[in-house]
Amino acid sequence: MKKILILFLLIGTLSACTPAKKTLKVFNWGEYIDATVIADFEKEYNVRVIYDTYDSNELMYTKLQSGEKYDILVPTDHMVERLIAEGKIQKIDLTKITNLKNVDSGMLNRPFDPNNQYSVPYFYGNIGIIFNKNVVDVADLEAQGWDVLRDVKYKDRVYVYDSARDAFMMAYKSLGYSINTTNTAQIEEAFTWLQDMDDKTNPVYIDETLIDNMINGEKDLAVDFSGDAAYVLSENPDMDFFVPSEGTNLWTDSMVIPTNSQNVDLAHKWINFMLRDDVALKNTEYVGYTSPIVSAFEAVTSADGVYFNNPAYAPRLDNPLDEVHAYSPELVSILPDKWTRVKAD
Amino acid sequence: MRVFANLVRPYLVWMSLFIVVPMILIVLYAFTTHGNSVMAFQFTLDNFGKFFDPVFIKVLLKSIQVALVTTFVCILIGYPIAYVIANVDERWQTLLMLLVTIPMWINMLVRTYAWISILSDAGLINTFLKSINVGPIKMMYTDFAVILGMVYNFLPFMILSIYTSLAKMDKAVIDASFDLGANTRQTFMKITFPLSLPGVISGVTLVFLPAVSTFIIPKFLGGGQYMLIGNLIENQFITVGEWNFGSAISLIMAMIIMLSMYMTRKMDKDIVQEAQGGNKW
Repeated sequence: MKKILILFLLIGTLSACTPAKKTLKVFNWGEYIDATVIADFEKEYNVRVIYDTYDSNELMYTKLQSGEKYDILVPTDHMVERLIAEGKIQKIDLTKITNLKNVDSGMLNRPFDPNNQYSVPYFYGNIGIIFNKNVVDVADLEAQGWDVLRDVKYKDRVYVYDSARDAFMMAYKSLGYSINTTNTAQIEEAFTWLQDMDDKTNPVYIDETLIDNMINGEKDLAVDFSGDAAYVLSENPDMDFFVPSEGTNLWTDSMVIPTNSQNVDLAHKWINFMLRDDVALKNTEYVGYTSPIVSAFEAVTSADGVYFNNPAYAPRLDNPLDEVHAYSPELVSILPDKWTRVKAD
Repeated sequence: MRVFANLVRPYLVWMSLFIVVPMILIVLYAFTTHGNSVMAFQFTLDNFGKFFDPVFIKVLLKSIQVALVTTFVCILIGYPIAYVIANVDERWQTLLMLLVTIPMWINMLVRTYAWISILSDAGLINTFLKSINVGPIKMMYTDFAVILGMVYNFLPFMILSIYTSLAKMDKAVIDASFDLGANTRQTFMKITFPLSLPGVISGVTLVFLPAVSTFIIPKFLGGGQYMLIGNLIENQFITVGEWNFGSAISLIMAMIIMLSMYMTRKMDKDIVQEAQGGNKW
């Protein structure tokens, strides 16, 4: 009996250690923040931030689905749409987001959330090809576009970011289709295109490690997000960035508050904090993704900025073939299933 | 002593909560259709039928092949190491066994990550080769890298279990063999090796099972196109969102593992019986 008592006492002391500070649980993409920004927020509001990362929208969704509670998520357009449709995120009280005035008006009112009722932009960009200037001829890229990934000349020299949606995006664009097609024949054709790419250049499909590997110059071609590219280019002068004129995906990652958030007020403070000029500047400088905050964007692209003349930092906004991914329930598992087959074969 | 019997109760609760309930859920998912609400189940065998697709069968065969090669390499490397350790002075044995287990103190992810910077095209080995004007040799994202990663991670299990059976062996039997005129080779082949087989077999189980189901090693060292059964299951749950199909694959996998456990158990028994029978003189 005595022993059991001691056991209970032990448990008692352990649970007494729970922090009195308020906590904010943030779930964001990996390598997508300057960690000092988190520390700054903790200090300024005297709170504790629990920060978890994911490497795909789907992983984030699965975690959410399993009942995990977060206060902030940073999904991409189509996932914002899905979360709104399924009632998994709540409306943001824009009166609390006083720094919304810092945001580039072009990045507000996007098709996935027309009045920014549910989401506030965090970073944006597109998808293109990082290439080694010393090995790959720009003329090849311009002539072939996405088809360069099926050029046997570059066998074993290619990385492709491991994401079903983005892989299909390249195939659709190369074939001249919309990235949101639901036409079965077009989907099949894109599937064949990807299988052909897999046979011809035998790409390695990876995620976050792509950045470090391209900085080390491991491969000559890599399909990746513009922000990763901006960072790679700033670290390795041999690398350049190319976005095929056939079109690409123009995406925005936005901050949203889940319906089951435990600390809605603090979540608003976080969003407002991330939109502050100095915080946004620090963050974009470190991460390399394009900031929707006008002052931060101007500072890093100015003559003495970190991303001055960096072709990946400022995504083109004038190509009518560039599209935004929309959410379509019927495609949710079709594309990943086909992508699995491309990879497994 | 009866007082202590009660102490097992929390463990039973724990077991049923965290082992039995998830198992039941997996079975339930495997036999039902997608998008069930909690109350209305629609039973089906489609999830299993879906697996019999050339693409997936290929993944399964590849997983078994990679796991078999890993296990074989682990025996080849692990046996001599265990043998040497079991035969050195006892003071050294503890230290050497400690050295074998030390890597396991560090998280497996970190150790596997370290291999990326050793094996990559601009990594340690290739930088060295470049300095002596050889290479580069492509190692990352190949069978070699994945099997190396698996052998590296699972070798201690093999060494530990072989060492245990070698160390507890009755040395008098070996002395007897020498007394009867057998040379070192004969003694090893006829006495030591057969007596250590139970250790080898439990080592095989300890290596084969994690090797056939791991998903993080092929993901890191093989890339996304290096798909083994573990990756396929992970994929179904996380990116495809087909929990039912994922559960069915898990169940198929569990059956294969149970079958191989049963076979090794049976082998183990046969060998033990044979060893005992051989000792009857």
